[in-house]
Amino acid sequence: MGFFSPWFLAGLAGLALPLYLHLLKRQTMKPKEVSSLMFFESRTQASTRHRRLRYFLLLSLRLLLLLLLILAFANPFVNRDTATLASQRLVLLVVDNSFSMRAGTRLADAKTAALGVLGDKGAARGQVAAFGSQLRLMTQPIEDQSALRSAVIAIQPGDGHGNFGELARAVRAMAEAVHTPIEFHLFSDMQRTQLAGNFSDMALPANVKLITHAVVAKAQPNWTVESVDAPGQVWGKDAKPVHVQAVIAGYGTPAANRTVSLVVSDKTIATKTVAVPANGRATVDFPALEVPYGFSRCEVKIDSADGFPADDLRRFAVQRSDPQKALLIHNYGDNRSPLYVGAALSAAAQSAFILESISVNEAADRKPSNYAFIVLSDVSSVPSLLEHSLIEYVRSGGSLLIAAGTSAGSRTRIPIFDGRVVETRDYNRVPDRYMAVGSSDSSYAAVARADSWRGVKFFYAIDVDPGDARVIVRLGDQTPLLLEKRLGEGRVLLLTSGLDNLTNDFPLHPAFVPFIEQTARYLAGSERQGGAHPVDAYLDLRTAREQGQGVEITDPEGKRPLTLAEAAKAQTFQLTEAGYYQLRLANGRQNEVGVNPDPKESNLDVIPDDVVALWQGTGGEGAKEAAAAPGGPAPSRKTPESIWWYVMLLVLASAVAESVLASRYLGTQREDS
Amino acid sequence: MLQRFLDPSVLASISSLDLVARTVVDGFVAGLHRSPDFGFSQEFAEYQAYTPGDDLRHIDWNVYARSERLYLKRFRGETNSLLTILLDASNSMQFGSHRVNKMDYARYLTASLFYLAVHGQRDAAGLITFDDEIRNYIRPSTRQGQLHRLLAGLEHAEPRARTDFAKPMRYFQEFLKRRGMVIIVSDFWESPETLIPSIEPLRYHGNEVILFHVLDPEDVRPKLTGPSILVDLETRTELEVTPDYTKKEYRDKIQAHLTNLRDRTQGAGMGYFLLMTDRPLDAALREYLSLRGARK
Repeated sequence: MGFFSPWFLAGLAGLALPLYLHLLKRQTMKPKEVSSLMFFESRTQASTRHRRLRYFLLLSLRLLLLLLLILAFANPFVNRDTATLASQRLVLLVVDNSFSMRAGTRLADAKTAALGVLGDKGAARGQVAAFGSQLRLMTQPIEDQSALRSAVIAIQPGDGHGNFGELARAVRAMAEAVHTPIEFHLFSDMQRTQLAGNFSDMALPANVKLITHAVVAKAQPNWTVESVDAPGQVWGKDAKPVHVQAVIAGYGTPAANRTVSLVVSDKTIATKTVAVPANGRATVDFPALEVPYGFSRCEVKIDSADGFPADDLRRFAVQRSDPQKALLIHNYGDNRSPLYVGAALSAAAQSAFILESISVNEAADRKPSNYAFIVLSDVSSVPSLLEHSLIEYVRSGGSLLIAAGTSAGSRTRIPIFDGRVVETRDYNRVPDRYMAVGSSDSSYAAVARADSWRGVKFFYAIDVDPGDARVIVRLGDQTPLLLEKRLGEGRVLLLTSGLDNLTNDFPLHPAFVPFIEQTARYLAGSERQGGAHPVDAYLDLRTAREQGQGVEITDPEGKRPLTLAEAAKAQTFQLTEAGYYQLRLANGRQNEVGVNPDPKESNLDVIPDDVVALWQGTGGEGAKEAAAAPGGPAPSRKTPESIWWYVMLLVLASAVAESVLASRYLGTQREDS
Repeated sequence: MLQRFLDPSVLASISSLDLVARTVVDGFVAGLHRSPDFGFSQEFAEYQAYTPGDDLRHIDWNVYARSERLYLKRFRGETNSLLTILLDASNSMQFGSHRVNKMDYARYLTASLFYLAVHGQRDAAGLITFDDEIRNYIRPSTRQGQLHRLLAGLEHAEPRARTDFAKPMRYFQEFLKRRGMVIIVSDFWESPETLIPSIEPLRYHGNEVILFHVLDPEDVRPKLTGPSILVDLETRTELEVTPDYTKKEYRDKIQAHLTNLRDRTQGAGMGYFLLMTDRPLDAALREYLSLRGARK
C-alpha cells in the first residue's frame, strides 16, 4: 500500500491531542470540597477501575477515528495487478463529432476505428460517448458488444466546437465515480483549435489511460466565410440601403480568387470575386441588401474548392418591419431638442424609430402605450394627469428618458424618476467654464458605443440624489449625469443636463448620434431580433414584458425541441445546430436567427505529435507504451488503486461508535427523580 | 414581597449586616397578622396584685386612689428576656453550593434575630462565636449600641478550624448565669449521641435552648457527575466517592441523622429547627417569636 499524498501523514502528530486530553482529564479531576465526610464512604477501587475501562475504550476509538481521517487525506492506494483487473477495466470510446469532423470522411473513419477497437477488446466493459461541445454518453458501462457497436454507428455529425479541456474535465468526473481503471480511446481529427487554453486543464487522473486515434495525420487547406456583418433588422420600406460585409479566410491555403455570393431566400442576388491571400483573409462588401417585409434567410457563400464544403457558407436572418414610434415632449417654444434628437435618430443607419415631437400642453391626450419610448425634454412643469399616465406607462413596462435642463433646476424633485434635487451646478463659474465626464460604466452600450462621451463639455447640470438608481455616468466633480432606475416593469433614464445644446455641447458632438440610437434601442427593447448566432449560444426567449407568454421554437430540421413545460417557463434556449431557428411567442412576436458553427472549426490544423504524447503522459503510468501499441493486449503490470473512500466509510463507522460511547459515558448524568 | 426580602440570595446583595437585619425583620413584621402572642409596643397587658418585692415604679397609683389596693400595671413590652446566640464559626460553615454559604446565612439569621430582639422586644442579647474553642463573647445587654456591637461581632466571625462542641460547652456555663434563651446556630456535623450530652447542661439554668440547624442543599443532596474526590473542609481529609453512592446510601444516612438529631433534641427538651440556605429566613424568626411568646 502507498499514499498519493504522503505529506498528509504529518497529521499523525495530531494523535497526540486526544492522548494528551485523556491524560489531562484523568489528572485534573478537581477535588470537590464538602462540609463533612461524616456520611461519605470510599468507593475508590470500584470507581477507578470502571473509569479506566471506559476511558481507554473511548480513547482508542478517538485515536482510531483520527488515524483513519489522516489516512483518508493521505489518499492511500493499493497496487493491483492489471491483468487481474482486466475484467473490471472500463474501455471508454469517445468519438469526436464536432463540426470539423464533417470534413471529408473524418467521422466515418473515426467510427470505423472505434468499431475496430471494440472488436479487439473482447469482453471488456465498454462505454461509448460522442464529443462535440460537450461529452454526450451514448451508453452506460456495459459488456454487450452489439449495443456498443450500435451506439458507435448511431453517432451523428454535430455542429459544436470541441475543447479537449472540457473533455478532460468530463473524464475526470467519470474517473471519480468509476473506481476501476479507464482505458480512454479518443477518435478525433485532433484539431489544434480544440486544445485547452491551459494545458493543465487537459490533465487526466492516474487511473485513466489515454489512447488517441487520429483520423488525419496533417493539416488540410480550407477556405471559409469567417464572419458576416449585417443588420438583423431593416425598418420601413424606404430604409436606407444596408451594407453586408463578409470576411473570407483561408487556413493553410495558397493565394486564390474565390467567388462570393449573397443569397437571400435561396436566391443569389449578388456575386463577387475576391482575391484571398495565401493563408490570409479578404473582405467582401455587398452595398445594398434588399429584403421584403418579414424575415428573410440570407447566406454568404463561397464556391467550394476544398474538402470541407460544410463551412463554405454563413447564415443570417434579416427582418424588415415598420419603424416604431417614439414621442418627445418638450416645453412650448423649445425647438432645439426635437431637432437634435430627431436628427440623431434619423441619422442612424439602422434607424428604427419615427420621432413625434409635441409640446407639453398637447401631451395630455396622447396615449403613452402607443409609443416604444418617450423622451421628456426639460419640461418646466408636468401636469399631474400626464405625470400619472407616464408613471403607469413605465410601471407596465414602458421606458422613459428624462432630460433635466435649466427648467428642472427650480424644482426640488424630478417627476416620475422621483429623485431629490440636491443643487444645481453652473460650470460657467469654474476656471475651465465647463465640466467633462469623469467616470462612466463601460458595460452600458449607450455610453460605451458613444466613446464614453469623451470631449463633451457640460456647462450646467443638476445634482440629483441617486437613491437606489444606478449611476452610469458621472461628471468630473462626481455629479451624477446619467442615471437609470427600475420602476415596476419599466425603466427611467435620467440625464441631468439638457438635450438642447444650451446646457452642454453634446447634441453637436459625434458621440450624440450613437448615444441616442443605442438609448432608443435599449429603451424600446428591440435589440434581439434577427441576426446570426454561433452554435451553442443561448437565445433569450422573452423580454421583461413577455414573462408568462408561451413560446414555440422550430429548429433547422423543422422539429420543436421544447417540451410543453419548457415552452411555458424557459428563459433561454441553447442553439445546438447550424441552420435557421424560428421563435414564435403567444403575443405574436416572431424572431428568426441564423446559427453558424464556430469559425475555429474551419481551421483544420492538427495538434503536433509531441503535444499529443505529452497529453497521453498525463494519464496513468505506461500510457505511452499503451499508445505505442493501441488495441494490443494490456501488459501485466501493477496499477495503483485508490482506497480512500473505503477509509472514509471506516471513519464514518468510528465516528458513530465514538458518539454513542461518549454520550453514554460522558453525558450529563441526570438526577434520579 | 415578603418572600423576596427574606430570600437569602436577595440578602446577599446587601453589604451591610445592619441593613440585612432591618430588611428581614421589617419585611417579616410587616407581613405578620396581628396575634395575641406577638406584641412589640408598650401595650397594656394586665393588672397584677402587688406582692412585696415588686418594683414600686409599676404600681398604678390611680387604681390605688380609687380602690386602695395596690396593683401593678404590666405591659407586654416590659417582659424582658435574655437572648444568647452561640454561633458555630468552624470551617464547614463556609460551604455553599450557591451564592449564599452557610456562614452567610447564619450571619443573616443571627443579625435578624438580634435586631428583632433588641429593637422589637427590647431584650438583652449576647453573642458567643466558637469553633473548637470560644472565639468571641459579647455579653448580653440592653445598653445603647448593643446591636452594633453584636453586628460587629458577627462581621468578624470568619470560619476557621473545626467544630468541637464538648470543649467550648464547658465554658458556656460560666457565661450563662442568668436565665434566658439560648440559640445555637450550627451545621451540627456531630453524632447526636455526642452532641446532645454536650449541650444538654445549658438547660440546667432554666434556659430555653433551641438548635438552628443550618445546612446547604448539597449537604443533603450532593451532586456528582462522575467519580470524584471529596475533601472535608474541616479536616482536609480526601475520599473518592461515586455518584451512585451519593444518590442512594448517602441520602438515606443523612435523613436518618436529621431525624435522629431532631428526635433526640426534642427528647432532651430542646427546640430543633432545620434551615436550608436556599429557604427564606422568616420560618426561623417565627420559631424564635413563638418560643419567646411561650416564655412569658
